[in-house]
Amino acid sequence: MVFDGILIAIIIGFIRGGSFKKFADIRCKMGWVFPVLLLLQLVIFYFQNKVEWVGQVSNLSFMFIYVVGLTFLWVNRHHPHFVTIFVGVLLNFIVMAINGGRMPVSLEEAAVIDPQYMEATKNALYAKHTLVTESTKLALLGDIIPLSAPYPREQAISIGDVVMNIGVFLFIQSVMVRKKDKLIASKTTL
Amino acid sequence: MKVKLKSENVYIACVSLLGVLLFMNHLNPQVEDLSNWVLIYTLVGAILLLNHFNIIIPLSGNTLSMDSSIYLAGLFLFGLKIPLLALGVSSIVFLMIRFKLAWWKHLFNFANYSLMLICTYYTFILTGGTVGETDFPNIMPYALSLSVYFILNVMIMWVYFYLAQKPSLKTIIRTAFQKQLIQEVFTSYLCTLVLALVLTILISQQPIFGIFLFLTLAIMLSFAFKNFFNLYKEEEAKAKRDFLTGLYNHGYFKLRLDEMLSENQKKPFCVALLDLDDFKKYNDANGHIQGDALLKFFGTFMLEKTKDNPFIAARYGGEEFGLVLPDVSKRDAFTFLNKIRKEINDTYFTGVEHSPQGCISFSAGIVEYENGTYSSSELLSKADKALYFAKSQGKNVIQVYKEDQVYHQDCQFAKEIDALEQQLQIFLSKDVYTYQHSKRVFFYATEMSERLNLSIEERRTLILGALIHDIGKLEIPRDIINKKGKLDPHEWEMMKKHVIYGKEIISSIKKYDELLPLIELHHERYDGKGYPYGLKEANIPKLARILCIIDSFDAMTTERPYQKTKTFTEGITELRTCAGHQFDPHYVEPFIQMIQENYGDKLAGE
Repeated sequence: MVFDGILIAIIIGFIRGGSFKKFADIRCKMGWVFPVLLLLQLVIFYFQNKVEWVGQVSNLSFMFIYVVGLTFLWVNRHHPHFVTIFVGVLLNFIVMAINGGRMPVSLEEAAVIDPQYMEATKNALYAKHTLVTESTKLALLGDIIPLSAPYPREQAISIGDVVMNIGVFLFIQSVMVRKKDKLIASKTTL
Repeated sequence: MKVKLKSENVYIACVSLLGVLLFMNHLNPQVEDLSNWVLIYTLVGAILLLNHFNIIIPLSGNTLSMDSSIYLAGLFLFGLKIPLLALGVSSIVFLMIRFKLAWWKHLFNFANYSLMLICTYYTFILTGGTVGETDFPNIMPYALSLSVYFILNVMIMWVYFYLAQKPSLKTIIRTAFQKQLIQEVFTSYLCTLVLALVLTILISQQPIFGIFLFLTLAIMLSFAFKNFFNLYKEEEAKAKRDFLTGLYNHGYFKLRLDEMLSENQKKPFCVALLDLDDFKKYNDANGHIQGDALLKFFGTFMLEKTKDNPFIAARYGGEEFGLVLPDVSKRDAFTFLNKIRKEINDTYFTGVEHSPQGCISFSAGIVEYENGTYSSSELLSKADKALYFAKSQGKNVIQVYKEDQVYHQDCQFAKEIDALEQQLQIFLSKDVYTYQHSKRVFFYATEMSERLNLSIEERRTLILGALIHDIGKLEIPRDIINKKGKLDPHEWEMMKKHVIYGKEIISSIKKYDELLPLIELHHERYDGKGYPYGLKEANIPKLARILCIIDSFDAMTTERPYQKTKTFTEGITELRTCAGHQFDPHYVEPFIQMIQENYGDKLAGE
């Protein structure tokens, strides 16, 4: 889902006449965190159903990744819209934290989607998801928003995902497209 | 400390409290079906987007947000719970996004909506409406509840503005029945309400996709209206600007002036007319394109100087500029204009070195608004008179309008003054500084002669003598007169002869015989070190001694472009130090007194 958002943002950025050049100017504190987290996540993702102990600590490790990610966003909040991304991630983190480290997925919404995905979700250890049940707390923050046709990739997302994607979108726009000073505006301020 | 409760604050507190309490009472966050949360998210997203992409109503610039339609449609379709939850969530988001807005405004806004929603809902139910119905069997409940929404909204905001501003009854009635305002309010509300019904039908068929379509439409409209509004603003700005200089144009200047007069305010304000000196000559010498460049340059200069004040700078026409200075006394206006006059003198511009003043310069007339001023044209004609007076003093001068000064021609020697001025005008082409100097010395002498106890005959001699005292400089070659830097000894010797030359020129006219001593002896010093004869104390005629003081003071304080000169205060100090040596001490103090009284504005500006 995040990749969809980034792709859409970049395409719209180009349509609005933006360019990639400005990305080179971005300076992030703790910039190394991002690739390391991605790598770690992929490793756990890959091994959790194969190596037993990785599966057991995977919940905790996902939480750890979130905390590091949130810290990274917070120390870099001077960038435009990083606060929005932070809020989105935080919403996801909250619902995962109070539901044992897994993101609750609504069964009805998942039903809209690929049945295989639902089967895998029921089998618990797929990725980082779990089904919404009676005991799920704050289900409203879970993956309850269905994305289906006409959207090309069918999936269920959470409100946190939406907020995060809005933040990513706005951030990319703000980097790619620089506003030109309007001549008229400066003239009228006497 | 006693805290004074303002009525509008009490009102805000009451409305907020009522709204929040009602909200709490009706709030039920238990939503059984998770898909309802998806709906709430969609509504919140729609509300946020509609608030961001609001529609600017052209002319007034008021904005219309269509989020009310979303709330109302939600109310008709899903009852109270979902719109209230959407309101709660979107209020939290607004609190985070618009964190710069005062918290009580957020709260008041939230309470306002919650009150409106709850009251509208009960009106709808009590008049027989059914939640979720889309056949519209009976339109009455919809119409009534929509009216309640509208009336409540207007009332709540109106009472606030009434308490905050406490307008008089007359203003209330006048504003309430402005045709344009009523039209605007009515159409925008009607638009919102009709859209609410449209949205109800849409959402009942296709909840998410319906809202999506609605949003697309609203955002497109928002863009269209924004472009329209920008275009309007742009054209409006163009219509009141002068194209070349970027200043306001003649029409807007007059309009503003008339507005200020009709406001009938008690605060003082000043109007100044500025005219670039010798602009025609500049045009002839450098071409019209360069002339336009100078006008543009001057326009930018004026914009720059007035941008931090509420001053209205306009191009009055040709090379004339108008300036309205609100809340400024004539003394401050003089100080301001004199300052920027000196600044522009010291600013170089291509081709300006060949103009008579040797720099960019302007003359200005200032008039202060007085109660009982009949019209803007009266003010402007006074400013114009002062401007002409400034021009007649040799340009590059600021004059404040005074009743008497402009009519000096009425005085008893007017004819003779006119005749001598004819002679003096030869200097305009040869050496404009001598011309200006002579005119200033003449005015000082006029004022001095009123102060000292002089006979009419003596007054005439002093005034006329002052006007013509440097006439001998006509014989001095231009190279020497206009030489920058120190004169060589032989040039200085030639310069000194101007008193003799002057005497010879004037002695050809019999009736000016009395002036001869003044012309010949105004460079004699009290201590005998002057020229041409080195006369001492009482051997120098009294009037020549007086003229010497005036002449020296003006020579000291004459400003020239790109040079620092003595200020009036420094000039006064210099006079006092030299009293008894160079100057007759009897007349130094009266002269200083005259300067302090008549030129206080100049002294204050230093």
